[in-house]
Amino acid sequence: MVSQRDRDLLREDMRARGGKLNATERESLLKPYLPSPSPAAPRRKKNTVRKTPIRTFLKSQLYQFTYTFTHIIFGICARLIQAYHAVVDRILAIVYYHHRTPELIRKDVRGLNRLPEHLSVVLFLRKEDDALAVLMDEVAELAAWTTCCGISTLSVYEKTGILKSCLPTLQQAITAKLSSYYGSPSQQPALRLFAPHHPLHDDLQTRQGQTAERSNPNSLTLLLLSSTDGRETLVDLTKTLTEMSQNGKLASEDITIELVDAEISEITTQPSSDLKPATSPLVKPEPDLLLVFGPYLRLDGYPPWHIRLTEMFCTGDKSHGMTGFGEAVEYQGFLRGLWHFAGAQMRFGR
Amino acid sequence: MSTSMHLSKLRKWFLASPPVEFAISNLRELLIGALKQGPIPQHVAFVMDGNRRFARTHGIETVEGHNLGFEALAKILEVCYKSGVKVVTIYAFSIENFKRSKFEVDALMDMAKVKLSQMAQHGDLLDRYGARVRVLGRLDMLKPDVLAAVNRAAELTSRNGDRVLNICFPYTSRDEITTAIRDTVAEYSTPVKRAHSSSVPRAPFSQSHIALNIQAQSLHAKVQDPTSDIESVSVASTAEDEGATSNQEPDELYESESSFSSSTTLHHLGHQDGQATGVKGPQFISPEAITRQTLTDHMFTKDNPPLDLLIRTSGVERLSDFMLWQTHEDTEIVFLDVLWPEFDLWHFLPVLLGWQRRISKMKKNPEAEGNFDGDVLDSYNDNADGYMPSEAAKPKAI
Repeated sequence: MVSQRDRDLLREDMRARGGKLNATERESLLKPYLPSPSPAAPRRKKNTVRKTPIRTFLKSQLYQFTYTFTHIIFGICARLIQAYHAVVDRILAIVYYHHRTPELIRKDVRGLNRLPEHLSVVLFLRKEDDALAVLMDEVAELAAWTTCCGISTLSVYEKTGILKSCLPTLQQAITAKLSSYYGSPSQQPALRLFAPHHPLHDDLQTRQGQTAERSNPNSLTLLLLSSTDGRETLVDLTKTLTEMSQNGKLASEDITIELVDAEISEITTQPSSDLKPATSPLVKPEPDLLLVFGPYLRLDGYPPWHIRLTEMFCTGDKSHGMTGFGEAVEYQGFLRGLWHFAGAQMRFGR
Repeated sequence: MSTSMHLSKLRKWFLASPPVEFAISNLRELLIGALKQGPIPQHVAFVMDGNRRFARTHGIETVEGHNLGFEALAKILEVCYKSGVKVVTIYAFSIENFKRSKFEVDALMDMAKVKLSQMAQHGDLLDRYGARVRVLGRLDMLKPDVLAAVNRAAELTSRNGDRVLNICFPYTSRDEITTAIRDTVAEYSTPVKRAHSSSVPRAPFSQSHIALNIQAQSLHAKVQDPTSDIESVSVASTAEDEGATSNQEPDELYESESSFSSSTTLHHLGHQDGQATGVKGPQFISPEAITRQTLTDHMFTKDNPPLDLLIRTSGVERLSDFMLWQTHEDTEIVFLDVLWPEFDLWHFLPVLLGWQRRISKMKKNPEAEGNFDGDVLDSYNDNADGYMPSEAAKPKAI
């Protein structure tokens, strides 16, 4: 640590744009803070070690002891904080329960001065047998809450991409969940479900014949992402560009941020359709808020290109790691993320 | 108001008094020494955010705020390097920051220039204690005098030890990724030399000789599959070559294999020009050989261990176009609600302790915390042990 006197000297020197002190003066100022030149001069190091074996031993013992001691203290503090958060979380869970009522959820977010346009969620597949069913239920719940809040786009990231392989089942699950929130299909918001390189599942089209008029003007676009949409997509793009370049169709100078951005955005915003190229993108490619349901903030392979300005929120560690990495997806965690995004504090009481 | 001012003056005087200063500096040494006993992240990145806000709230000039930020950086670098962090990456200046007021940009550039040239004056001291300084980013956007200082500092410190300081100075991550893609495309679009003069020392076996041997063998006895023999030999030799430099990632192995096999076919074509089925024009490495590792190798941070920890101060909870490619897999991201000039060991310590706790927990029971832990642990161990040899091997390879 630099002493106050020397710091003042250095600051003055800085203010004078380095003109006040010359190199030797600065060096002499610096000398007392330099470590002993052990790595560069092994000869001297050996001497010092031989000279003070007891002191070195004691020092290492002291360090070892301090390490253990700080970790014990820190562990206790961490556990206490964890317990505190768990209690707060339970209280919030009681106070803010959605009762499957869209009006109640809307009331919870009414006071917020901004809502994300595109919400993104990182979920984790658990290890139990019914992991897929649990995951689908979580996605369905999230979809319901998101529509109730009036957010039009939800993207769900799950590393393995298992959700992509069962789109129809997922759609059924979500529709069932929505009907438990909204009631009859005519009052449900329109649901559009797609994943990169997968066709669009649009229940507007499939049920046009049955339902004459929809009373709910809202709609939800649900985008499913997996780790292959991350680095792998950029690799694919590079491959294609390389091929074009090798065939002389493209100069490497033509590759700009705009080009990459356009290409990458297209993959996540437009479903692959054989009929016609979609004119306008379905979703805003950059999510505004990223919710991580896990003990600490870790992106776990989330597509890197679009998160440059995304706010991130992690629901935090409450479960002592008993249920795997992912935390349970609960309404108060979701709400806390939205409140945090709006820069507001959650209170005990509606 | 006046009491708080008096109090802060008193506090300052107290902290600056010699015995207290001595005690605090010893406590710091002790804590850093203690931290060293546990696992330590190999690569830490900082977003130094909050200098301007600090200046505004404390009623000082913006430039002064940046100066204080630099001091905080010096302190935190001391903590990092003493506790054993190998690589520190800092986000000093974004390409977007050029949009700020000209006065501020000029002042920042000036500061960088002064600091870098000051550093250059202490050549021998840096040799002994310093870290390698590298400036990452769009250097072509800098003014020539700043660029000269940058190059000089980088060159002076290039021989230094294993500690690295990466300064991201005009940098955005999208630009980095795009540059990596562009470079990869350019690299794969340069035709492969037919003569293969470079690969001659790598292939100790002469193909014609092998062919002769096979012919000789087939005269004596029926050989089942001569071609497969040749291939396995060539692959084995690649593995030998690549094993020294690479960390043996599966991708990379695959890549080296496939690139090699394509180059062997080229070799064939080169030899049997007349019999080739009709491949004309320049020859390229197949684009299928590009993997994630290829792109990673074209990023600015190519020789650094994977990013373990990213810390952003000032409570803003986004990455702001920093290290997108590097962060998005296993990095722990921490947002701290403290302005950068105030950032010190006392804020850094809980983060490091939490990280150590997590890592040591993971080591104890890799099963309990979820399916990803195994590979994190492996990669951590890999870079703890494997980083040094691979780095040492690189100069040799050149």
